[in-house]
Formats: sequence, structure tokens, C-alpha cells
Amino acid sequence: MEFLEEANYQLKEIQTLEGHTDRVWSLAWNSSTGRDGVPPLLASCSGDKTVRIWERNLSSRSWDCKAVLDETHTRTVRSCAWSPSGKLLATASFDATTAIWENIGGDYECVSTLEGHENEVKSVAWNASGSLLATCSRDKSVWIWEAMPGNEFECVSVLQGHAQDVKMVQWHPTMDVLFSCSYDNTIKVWWAEDVDSDNWQCVQTIGESNNGHSSTVWALSFNAEGDKMVSCSDDLTLKIWEADITRMQSGDGYAPWRHMCTLSGYHDRTIFSVHWSREGIIASGAADDAVRLFVESKDALIDGPSYKMLLKKEKAHDMDVNSVQWSPGERPLLASTSDDGTIKIWELASTL
Amino acid sequence: MDSQQSNNSVQDIFDSSLNLEETHFKEGYDEGYNHGLTTGKEEARQVGLKLGFETGEELGFYKGCVDVWNSAIRVDPTRFSTRVQKGIKQMEELIEKYPVMDPENESIQEIMEALRLKFRVIRAALGVKLEYDGHPKPKDIEF
Repeated sequence: MEFLEEANYQLKEIQTLEGHTDRVWSLAWNSSTGRDGVPPLLASCSGDKTVRIWERNLSSRSWDCKAVLDETHTRTVRSCAWSPSGKLLATASFDATTAIWENIGGDYECVSTLEGHENEVKSVAWNASGSLLATCSRDKSVWIWEAMPGNEFECVSVLQGHAQDVKMVQWHPTMDVLFSCSYDNTIKVWWAEDVDSDNWQCVQTIGESNNGHSSTVWALSFNAEGDKMVSCSDDLTLKIWEADITRMQSGDGYAPWRHMCTLSGYHDRTIFSVHWSREGIIASGAADDAVRLFVESKDALIDGPSYKMLLKKEKAHDMDVNSVQWSPGERPLLASTSDDGTIKIWELASTL
Repeated sequence: MDSQQSNNSVQDIFDSSLNLEETHFKEGYDEGYNHGLTTGKEEARQVGLKLGFETGEELGFYKGCVDVWNSAIRVDPTRFSTRVQKGIKQMEELIEKYPVMDPENESIQEIMEALRLKFRVIRAALGVKLEYDGHPKPKDIEF
């Protein structure tokens, strides 16, 4: 990984995607698109109860809204996630349901509805193979669903343990280990040693006593290798964690996550979203309308690598930045969503 | 003249006036205690009846659902997935396990919550709009 020098880079705005009539909460890039001649696709979800599908026109290079998924959710759609194959889109809503959509002959149809949560579903995530789906809610629980034939989803387990609203769920990029973060200031790790037994347990709770956050943890993201994790919080810090995953992948039991470093002093408002690109750049979106990028620092300390801010894009949006996501594939773009109702596509460019 | 006897009777007279505070305290305490015992018992009886009824009704509801589902499974076992059937079995075990004759048992809260959760999962899996109305729902505060 090349080490990037500060002050040599800028975030260039490629396009602003308008259309949603309320705040845009989140977005998801379809990882099966954007290569081999297939135009890149992304989905965004909003307080206007709809999900919009955007596609980049290969010739004009501009993004157009290809579809509006409406008349299904009866309240805000808070989160969306494409299945790894790119065929299905899961959308989580404040109406306590999670809908599964499939593109059938050019139209997106809702092929399944997952019910069970008592109130607002906050996040939805697919595991690496697309066999499992996780959802979390203000009802403090995390549900794991198994994708069955015919777009049927069966609830495998209901995980309780968080003391408050669960903000986000995220699967590890290579192993079937589930992570959840909450208003109760903790990150919980869930694992089923024997997947067929449906016996999911909380194998680790990362709280204040483990150098964890001192306020709501809003999001977390993994690096490409999956041996490091970054979390962001209302406590104005980003925390980097590491684990010996080779040990775990070789079947040697659970390997716990340890605190590596805390990035503080860079944010003065709540950090709502964080995403680690495959190239190793960490993007953060915060309540001060700014987007910041961080990279590992060349000046490694004795205790291990440290991180530094590569750039700060002030006024990236007119209001709170709710989500930041790097596109998959080579030469990634960064997409951000905001309370201002727009999605912005950015390109990281050298100023030299 | 029996000076000791006269001394004792003098002491007795003074004793009762000296212990006036203590006697009155004891009298009041006894009155309050007995009153509390009677009203407390009555109130506890009412609470016990109410809680007992609610618990019994909820347990009965789940038992009824389990019985219907089991009958359906006997008619056509293929219509219910293995997971759902396992869940129904687990619900049955929980109902069996509930200590109806031991209200002070620490696990009653845990078992009831596990039952409610299992019920929600099975209900979602079967796609039925079934709801236990007896259980009062806390007023949801929305932000």
C-alpha cells in the first residue's frame, strides 16, 4: 500500500444526485457492477420512504435515476444493502420491516418481507457469501436470517444483549462473524462456532473498559484484509481495532479484537459513518457537514502504526453527512449522503 | 412496717409514668402493624389474583397456539420447515418448564420473555398476523 502525503490530495465533486424529497440516510454500491462493461449501480434510501437506484451512463459518464422503489415501506427507509451477487437488494425501514427486492425484467419487485422486529429497523447487512442476512433495531435486538431457495428468509436467531438501540450491523468480510454497534456505547461480536446449530452467541463486548467508546457507536468498517476494524462514535473519535484472524480462520477458536489506536481531536461533532476503502483510506462523515479522509501514517510508532488525516472536505454537504461509502473496484469513487436530501459522488484526485 | 414493700409500690407507680413514652410507642406500633398486616394481605391477594390471571392467560394462549400448530404438523409435516418445528418444540418445553406453582421462582421473567420472543419468531416464519392482546404494551415514545 502506498503511503499518501498530506496536502497533495483533494476530493473533487463529480456529481450531485438529486431526487429524494427528504434526508438521504444511506447508500449501497452494487459490487457486481462497475466493471466488465457493466455500468456502476448504486442504491440510496431516504426519509421519503423510497429507495432510488442510480446508474452511471457509460458514454455521458453522468448518473441517472433508473428506478424509484416506492409504495412498499410505510416509513423512512434507513439502510440498504445489495447481496454479494448483486441480484438482491435488502432495505431496512422504520416501519419495522426489511424488504427484499429483485430486478425482474427491468423492474424492481419486492419479493419478500422480513417481519419480526418490534420497532424501527436501523441497519441490514449480508454476509460475504450472501447466505445470511442480519438486521438490527431500536428494539435492542439483532436478527440473523438465512436465505432459502425461492427468496424465502428464515429467522435463524434473535440476538439479545445490547442495552439500547442497535445502530448498525456489519459482517466480517471473510468470516461469518457478525458485529453490531449501539447507543449503549458498545460493539458486540456474535459468532456461531457450529453454523448449522444456529447457536449464535455474543463472544465479545467491546466497551469503555476495553478502550472502547464513551458514547453511541454509530458505525464500523473493515479493511480489505479483514484484520483491522474502524469504529466511529458520538464521542468524536475513530477507533482502530485489530485481531489475529489467521488464527481464527485456521479454526483455532475465536480471536478477540484489541484496541490499536484512537483518532481524537479531528472531529468536533458526532461521526455518523465510517468506511475503509480497499486501498486503505478511511472516510468519515460527520454532523458538521464535512467528510474527512484518514490513512496509515508513514511515521510508524514503536507500538505500531498510527493514522493521520489526509484531508478534510468542509461543507461537503449543506447538512449532516449520514453515510460515506467507497465504490468497489479499481480507482474508487466516494459517495456521501446527507440530511440535505442529496447524494454526492467524489473522486480523490492529486493536486499536483 | 414493711419498708421494702412500700418502696416497691412507690417504684411501680413511678415506673408506669416513666415508661409512658415507651408504652404509647408500643401501642401505636402494634396498631399499625396489625392494620398493615390486614390491608397488606388483602392488597397482596388482589395483586396475586391479577398477576396470576394475566400469567395464566398468556401461558394458555401460547399453549393453545402450540397445540394448533402441532395438529397442523401432524396433518402435513412438510408444510413446516425444520426450523419452525424445532421452534415450536422449544416453545412447548418452555411452557412445560414455567413454574406455575412457584411465583417466587427467579426464572419466571426469563421464561416468559423467551416464550414471547419464540412466539414472535415462529409467527414471522409462518407469516400469520397473530397477536396476544392481553399483554399491555408500553407506550412507544417516538423520536
